Amino acid sequence: MKLSHFEALTIFAALVAVVFAITTKSTPRAQVRYGVFVFFSFLLVAIVVGWIMYPFPF
Amino acid sequence: MLKDDSPSVPADPTPNFTVDARESVVLSPQSPFMTAVVCIGGLLVPGLGHLLLKRWIRAALLFSSMVLMFLIGLGMQGKLQILDAGQLISFNTLQWFANVGIGIPYFVAVQMGSGTGVPTSQTFDYGWAYLLVTGLLNYLVVLDAYDIAQGRKP
Repeated sequence: MKLSHFEALTIFAALVAVVFAITTKSTPRAQVRYGVFVFFSFLLVAIVVGWIMYPFPF
Repeated sequence: MLKDDSPSVPADPTPNFTVDARESVVLSPQSPFMTAVVCIGGLLVPGLGHLLLKRWIRAALLFSSMVLMFLIGLGMQGKLQILDAGQLISFNTLQWFANVGIGIPYFVAVQMGSGTGVPTSQTFDYGWAYLLVTGLLNYLVVLDAYDIAQGRKP
């Protein structure tokens, strides 16, 4: 299976967000809101950390 | 100290709290036997604990998410660690503990010869992470099922 780095990251974020939302929140509305928050947080943090690491050659 | 926090106030024998303005949820603690069955079932098959507690949608979402994640991890040629009884005190044991958390799918994959890992593959690292996280997430899911069975969560 050949996935790009970003595709793998996005799928990972989506699946983990589903599990986190179900296990930490009680109501469907809160679960959806928290799941969306976790998903976009994963993506944002990965992109920010990627740019922070960009100038370093090691 | 608030009056409601005082030890002299008797505890409400029927746990009942409001999770939405229009919805009241009565928590129903399960017997110790049922709680054990839920936890063991959840450890063997992802989401089975929630299924036994009649949380159908949660069970379906958890099962599909984690099995999909496990299969993607295998597809990306990640490695499943096999327990090395001769060297228990090592990081390999921790990796095995994380991998085996997914339950029966781990044993099926090992029996089928999957999860040997191809370190030269471009996706090996991601597959390895997928397989580790899937097992660890299932431990979290079992704890959630335990909380539901204990009546701490609707």
